[in-house]
Amino acid sequence: MIKIDKNTKSQLIELQKSKNISLEGNILKIIDSSDDPEFEKYVKNSIEKDREGRKKRLEITKQIQTQNKNLTDLNSENERINSEIKCALSEMEESKTKIESQNSELIEWREENERITQELHKALSSAEEAKKLAENDLDILQKKTQFELIGTIVRISLFVIIGVGIITTAVYMIALFSDKDTAIIASTWSNMLGILLTNSFSIIGTIMGVKYAASSKKDE
Amino acid sequence: MIDSILLVDDEDLFHLVFEDACSLLDISLSLNSLNSSDEAAKLFQKWFQSGDDNDKPECVFVDLNIIGSSFDGIELIRKINFEYGNHVVIGIISSSNEAEEQSKAIQAGAQFWIIKSDDIEPRLEEFRKDYEGYKNRTNPFKIYK
Repeated sequence: MIKIDKNTKSQLIELQKSKNISLEGNILKIIDSSDDPEFEKYVKNSIEKDREGRKKRLEITKQIQTQNKNLTDLNSENERINSEIKCALSEMEESKTKIESQNSELIEWREENERITQELHKALSSAEEAKKLAENDLDILQKKTQFELIGTIVRISLFVIIGVGIITTAVYMIALFSDKDTAIIASTWSNMLGILLTNSFSIIGTIMGVKYAASSKKDE
Repeated sequence: MIDSILLVDDEDLFHLVFEDACSLLDISLSLNSLNSSDEAAKLFQKWFQSGDDNDKPECVFVDLNIIGSSFDGIELIRKINFEYGNHVVIGIISSSNEAEEQSKAIQAGAQFWIIKSDDIEPRLEEFRKDYEGYKNRTNPFKIYK
């Protein structure tokens, strides 16, 4: 504890009375005022004044502290929301990139599909052409076979007719040179020759037609 | 009444709250505040190396997480207790109430744990009553909720 001389005590008391200025703080707690009732009162008043001031300051400081805490909490909340928004944006960007990538793949697939479709169309038209050619070839082959068959038939028929003509003529000649009656055989030979000539021309015409058809096929 | 107190806390506003609360409760005559555990460690190192204990505090209150410092409050208590050999009453004053941290604080040599809140005065009042026990090293670790 510290002791203060009488003169200083008087000055301090006078200062408080005239200008309301007092000692403040913990210094008041270590002043020994027990021997002077007036100065004891001064110290008591000063301590009370100091306490009131400190109480007010403490309340205000606490309020500011609470407000600061609230602001800090709000700031943290804002930061959390910002962080979430950033995350969401980042995810959106990723999704966008993914979708763009998928779109590009789809476009590539579509182009590939279009290319394959075009190739298939080309292949189909080639196949159709090949089919037409094959059908045509088959038709021609069938016709050729038919023509060859007809030609063979006609050739054999011609040989038969010529053979019949030669045989009939030979029989008629034998009858003529052996002085036999030739009346019936002559008319028969005449009719036969007429028929043979008619048929021969018909057959020759057919052979020519067959040959023409065969040569046309060869040209094709 | 405690002669001198050192508060190590990064929050300047709490310095004012703590000073006014201590004054109103007649807890201490002198109070110094620091906002960095590095500064506090330097001071204790200086007192330890010089052997001059005149301006050394009697009691130290340390915040748990001191922003802007190289190490936290528990590490500061450990350094003071085990590296600088200073026999001061020392403990944590923090808004945290985590058992794991409290266990670490005990291992570091903390004697008390005061939980910060808007209404700190009743806890400081209770601490004031227990102070002699901490000074004599007879009180066990206590949490002021």
